[in-house]
Amino acid sequence: MNLLHPSARVVDAATGAVLTPAMIDAAAAEIAGHPIVFLPMPSTVEAVARYLAALRLEKPVLLLDPDLDHTALIARYTTDQVHPDLALLLTTSGSTGDPKLVRLSRAAVLANAGQVADSLGITGDDVAITTLPLFYSYGLSVLHSHLLRGATVVLERTGIMQRDFWAAVGEHRVTSLAFVPSQYEMLRRLRFDPSRYPSVRTLTQAGGRLRTDLVTDFAARMDAVGGRMFVMYGQTEAGPRMACLPPSRLADRLGSAGLAMPGGTFTVEDGEVVYRGPNVMMGYAETAADLARGDDLAGVLHTGDLGHLDDEGFLFITGRRKRMAKVFGVRINLDDVERHFPVAAVAGDDKLHVFTSGEDDVRALRSKIAEWLGTHFTGVDVRTISSLPLLPNGKTDYRALEASL
Amino acid sequence: MTELQRLREAFRTALDLPADEPVDDLRYQDNEKWDSLAHMSLVAAIEDEFSVMIDTDDVINMSSFAEAVRILGKYGVDVK
Repeated sequence: MNLLHPSARVVDAATGAVLTPAMIDAAAAEIAGHPIVFLPMPSTVEAVARYLAALRLEKPVLLLDPDLDHTALIARYTTDQVHPDLALLLTTSGSTGDPKLVRLSRAAVLANAGQVADSLGITGDDVAITTLPLFYSYGLSVLHSHLLRGATVVLERTGIMQRDFWAAVGEHRVTSLAFVPSQYEMLRRLRFDPSRYPSVRTLTQAGGRLRTDLVTDFAARMDAVGGRMFVMYGQTEAGPRMACLPPSRLADRLGSAGLAMPGGTFTVEDGEVVYRGPNVMMGYAETAADLARGDDLAGVLHTGDLGHLDDEGFLFITGRRKRMAKVFGVRINLDDVERHFPVAAVAGDDKLHVFTSGEDDVRALRSKIAEWLGTHFTGVDVRTISSLPLLPNGKTDYRALEASL
Repeated sequence: MTELQRLREAFRTALDLPADEPVDDLRYQDNEKWDSLAHMSLVAAIEDEFSVMIDTDDVINMSSFAEAVRILGKYGVDVK
C-alpha cells in the first residue's frame, strides 16, 4: 500500500530522530510472522515505522493506547484468519469497556487520506505536528494525509500547554495544526496568536462540534494573518473524515459540518445522516471471527447522527440517535456507562456528567469511571443527588438532569 | 494556610492526587496525570487561589512545581 510518498518525512521533535526506510525494513522483519499486528502507538518514529511496515506487508494492524492494558482485547482478537482487504483496526470509543473495533480496508484508508489531502490542499511543503494521539482516528488521519502528499510530520509528545510544543512549531516551521474542541478552549486560554508562528497557515477542527463563537473567533485569528481554518466532520467508521467546510464558506454556513469529501455523498434518511463513499469501513468486529468477514456495508454508513442538508449540500448536524456523549473527541455510549456504574449519565459540552444517589466517594467514583473509559478525569463530572428525577413512565428524566447542569 | 500549603493543595486538586501525596518535586513530563487538560485545571486553580492572571508565556513555562513557585513570585506571591 502506497501511503508513504517517497518525499515524506517523519521527525521526532524531542530526539531529532528521523524515520528512515531502514527502520521500516527492520520493523517489517520483526512483525513478519504475525497474522495481526497489535500495536501500542505512542507518537514515536519506532511506532510509526512499525505501523508503516504492517501496512506495507498488508497485515491488519490494531492501534492501541500505549498507556492502557490491552491484554483482554488482544486475547479476544487473536486469530490467523483475516480478510485480505483488511488493513486497519481501530477502537470505536477509546473506551476499555467496549471492545468493538472498526474494520477499515486498504482502499478506504488510502481513499480517505487522499480526500483529506485534497480538501485541505496538502502539498509536499506542508509540515504537520502531532497534537492528538496516533491511535485516535483524527490524529492518524493527520499522519496519513501528510505522508500521502510527501509532507513532513513532526512527532511531539508534550502537548499544546507546554513550551516545548510551541518551540517545535517554530523550529520545524509547522504549517498546519489539528485540534479537537477541548484544545480550542485551551488555545483561547493561551490567547493563541498565529502571528507569533508565521509558518502556521492552516487550522483544522474535528472530533465533535465546536461552539460557533469559537469557530468565528479562530477563523478571524487565522484570517488576520492570511491563514485558513477548516471545520471538518467524521467518524472513525469513515476512516474517519466525511465532510469539510471550505474556509470561504465558513462565515455564511456557520455551524455547518461542511460539504461531503470528494467522492462522497450525504443523504438524510428518516432524519439520520447517511454517508456514501470509498472511505466507509467494511463493518465492525466484535469477535476474532469477524476479522475474516468481507465488506458488510458496501460503502454506505448510517452515521447515527441526526441532521439536514441545505440546497447546496452543506450538512448541519443536530443531534445523535443513540444517547452518546463526546469527551475530548471520543464517543461514549451513555447507556454503557450506566450499565457499569450505579449512576445516571448525561452529555455536556465535551464532558460526561453523572449523577449518583449513593454514598460513594465522588472523587473516587470519578477516577473509576474515567479509568474505565480510558479518558482523562477532567472529562468526567460526578454529582450527588438525593433522588433521580423520574418521568411518569418510571424512566429517568434526562431532560431534568441536563437542565440542572 | 501558608502560600506553600495553598499551592500544594492546588496541585493535588488539579492533578487529582491524594491529600498526603508529596508534590514539591512534580514535573510535567514525569507525571502521567499532568497532561495538557490537567494543566488547564492547574493554571485555573492557581489563578483562583492566588487571585492572579497568569500570562501565556508563564502558562506554557509552568512545567514543574518549582517553576510554579518561581512564576508566582513574578506576580508578587511569595511561596514559602
